Amino acid sequence: MLLACLIAAAPADAADPVTYRLKWLCNSSTVGDLYADVHGFFAAAGLAVEVRAGGPERDAIKELELGQAQFGVASADQVIRAAAKGSPVVVIAQIFQVNPLQWIYRASRPPIDDLADLEGLTIGVTYGGNDETIMRTLLAKAGLDDRDVTLMSVRYDFTPFYRGRADLWPIYRNSQGIVIADRMTRAGEPVRFFNPADFGVRYVANSVVTHQRLLETRPDLVRRFRQALLQGWQAALDERNEAQALETIARFDPDTPPDLLARQLRVTRELVRPTAGFAIGRIDVKAWRQSEAIMRGQGLIPEPVDVLARLHGPEEP
Amino acid sequence: MLARRTYQFLIVYAAGLALLLGLKYLAGLSDYVIPGPLLVWQTFRDVYGRYAADTLNTLSVAVLGQIVSICLATAIGILGRQTTWFGNFVKVAAYNVQAYPIVALAPIIFILLGDGFITRLVIAAMICYFPLLLVVLGVMSEPVVEIEHFYRITGRMRWQLEVKIRAFENLHKLTTVVAGSATLAMAGTIVAEFIAANAGIGYSIRIALYQSDLGKILVALFHIGISLSVYQALLEWAGARVQRRWEAAGGDVAS
Repeated sequence: MLLACLIAAAPADAADPVTYRLKWLCNSSTVGDLYADVHGFFAAAGLAVEVRAGGPERDAIKELELGQAQFGVASADQVIRAAAKGSPVVVIAQIFQVNPLQWIYRASRPPIDDLADLEGLTIGVTYGGNDETIMRTLLAKAGLDDRDVTLMSVRYDFTPFYRGRADLWPIYRNSQGIVIADRMTRAGEPVRFFNPADFGVRYVANSVVTHQRLLETRPDLVRRFRQALLQGWQAALDERNEAQALETIARFDPDTPPDLLARQLRVTRELVRPTAGFAIGRIDVKAWRQSEAIMRGQGLIPEPVDVLARLHGPEEP
Repeated sequence: MLARRTYQFLIVYAAGLALLLGLKYLAGLSDYVIPGPLLVWQTFRDVYGRYAADTLNTLSVAVLGQIVSICLATAIGILGRQTTWFGNFVKVAAYNVQAYPIVALAPIIFILLGDGFITRLVIAAMICYFPLLLVVLGVMSEPVVEIEHFYRITGRMRWQLEVKIRAFENLHKLTTVVAGSATLAMAGTIVAEFIAANAGIGYSIRIALYQSDLGKILVALFHIGISLSVYQALLEWAGARVQRRWEAAGGDVAS
């Protein structure tokens, strides 16, 4: 009987402790990560995962090297910069297929149907940030440079955009985008979004990363983690589970009203699972190649890093 | 004084850098987490000039911010020294305002004043002002009984004289806190640049953080440390000079 009890208790005791560092605070962008944890997907895979919220001062890749986390979420530019400096980071899944980093603008101004329409506009960019890299790529594609537009430095608040001092303002489409669009529409100023992917710039956003050593020494642990995580994302974005998914986000993001959370979830679904039946987590190799080429072209990395060698996830067929 | 301040800083900086490099090689960390000496040197060469200009820009705002905060702290300290209802009110209000963290107030300042010079100046002055105010209030509220008594019984006491006596008797304390508050003025300006500016070393640090470039941050810290050491040494020198001149004049506060 004692033996039976021990055997029954064994799976729980044997759960592998794992720390998973997110890129940002818990919101709709992390619904699958939270869902996998709260709804027992990790536990079922024999993992005791501690999901830690990210933030502006957090860098999952550094934590992987320091041994403070085993898995994390990082953007493509972080991965490529880290690879350029010899970091042993590898990508095991790509969550966002469409980059949520887009630009918001007032619907009252002419729509941006062509990149040449950017000429003469005042555009918000975060100097040193992803959005600067993306916008400079778009401007180069349009044959424009700094003299043809006015770039305005972006900080934490949206005042310059609200006041009309900027025409375009960078925004995370599925989180801030919903909140700001709602606020402006209620104030009688409907908005549109400018998505760089519509103009051929597919700069990869958040991906799941781990340490090369962990992949080599414990491939089974990496496989179980990835599988449980992607199952969590799949379930969270399944329309049939929408109520549970919303309830999960609301536990971690109580300040966002339920109707906005629902809209954020729907947009997140489009960015992570662009088509019904899409296998979540698939690595978009072409987009990674383009991301590296963009960074190389702008002198953000001194030489090629062969980022494709860092991709160890399910690839686009 | 200047040489001592500078080499003391260099010792601290070198020790910090050695600690980081020790950790890097001990834990086998890549240049992404902690850059190696070669990369730090390359970064130093690449951004030295630009960061030096940024640091001077920040220092100039910090010096102005410190002057503003000294004026403000002196004015409020003089008003708050009185044991009247108004004096007490000023003191309580000044203490209460201290409770608000500047990072919470910064967005409001940003909305009211926009980005740029004035915002940096206001935030620098606010961060620097609180400790100065505490010392000025403490000094100005404490009567120097043995000297003030004479002027009171002879009917010659005026508020200006009272302020002079108390300042003179605590001159060393006041000059020390003014020199020390330079650090806070610099920190305040950097915080302001971090939140709401397009210039200065704080802004450059923000960009370096976006790029996860610790090498650039180390260069920025070097510039900040050096410039602050020089500025503090100058303040200490000026403080000592004022003190000597006042003492040479025989401490004639009534004149």
